[in-house]
Amino acid sequence: MSKTVLVVDDSIYMRSLIKTVMEGAGYEVVGEAQNGESAIDLACSLQPDLITLDNILPDMMGFEILKVIKEEGVESKVIMVSAVGQQTVVNKGLSLGAAEYIVKPFTEEDLLKVVEKVMA
Amino acid sequence: MNENELKVATKLIFEGLSMAKASMEMILQSPISIEQIEYGTSDMDINRFGGDESEVHVIKTELMGELKGTSHLIFSEKEVQKLYESSLPKNIVEDDSKESTIMKLGFLTEIDNMVSAAVITEFSNFLGVEIYGNVPSLKVIKAKELNNYLVEESSELEQIIHFKAMFNGKELDICPDFIWVFHNKFVDKIKDLVSQK
Repeated sequence: MSKTVLVVDDSIYMRSLIKTVMEGAGYEVVGEAQNGESAIDLACSLQPDLITLDNILPDMMGFEILKVIKEEGVESKVIMVSAVGQQTVVNKGLSLGAAEYIVKPFTEEDLLKVVEKVMA
Repeated sequence: MNENELKVATKLIFEGLSMAKASMEMILQSPISIEQIEYGTSDMDINRFGGDESEVHVIKTELMGELKGTSHLIFSEKEVQKLYESSLPKNIVEDDSKESTIMKLGFLTEIDNMVSAAVITEFSNFLGVEIYGNVPSLKVIKAKELNNYLVEESSELEQIIHFKAMFNGKELDICPDFIWVFHNKFVDKIKDLVSQK
């Protein structure tokens, strides 16, 4: 059975790009969210194997979403996917429970390498 | 700023813009160079947009956190079309449906998001400040309205530092403008940093 993925990003272009890459690699994208509220709802209801999480969303930061879903007991692996690349921010994401942090822009190979590492 | 502070600020701005250039190259998969960097508030030369009535795409990112400021990435209508044709699937480029239009505009804002973030990351690391770029917004305006629009945007920040880069993508035949305005606190941070050394 395919591993399931929830893609969280305010940009429809980025969601579409990640979805295409993930489906091409055999994953099933079961949901997409463009804001924090929807991301939390979908993470809790779908309990996907993996969540790709943008850090800057219109209503909240990815960090806050990460905290909430961890508190709610969601066990999905989370890869933060963000243009925000300061080392302090990356470290904060990892300390809050993200399995990896990938900085945009990235290549398809970069993303899949990180996904494979996290899902191994 | 004294000579030393100015030197540090200029170097930082150049490095930030170089990171932005590298990001743009990676997104567009095409070489980009920094054609020129200007400091100050001179008007944009709108002739490059193809006439007063031509449409100009202006994508704005507002800074959040310890420093106030905004960036504007500006493309002409022709450049936007070239970007779509070089980076998006043909079925989306040629389709005028609402869904494809949203995808195309989303592509433009995502370019800005990544290019602005490259500058912000460089500044944040160097100055030791916590800053992020907010979700970018896009406006399509007429070329003749551009300078007034930028003046209005700047007026929201009382004391400001301006710098502007013109990128050049020879293969794609694009030369977008990338304009930054910062609150004067940016200068204070540079001064603090230099005095600590």
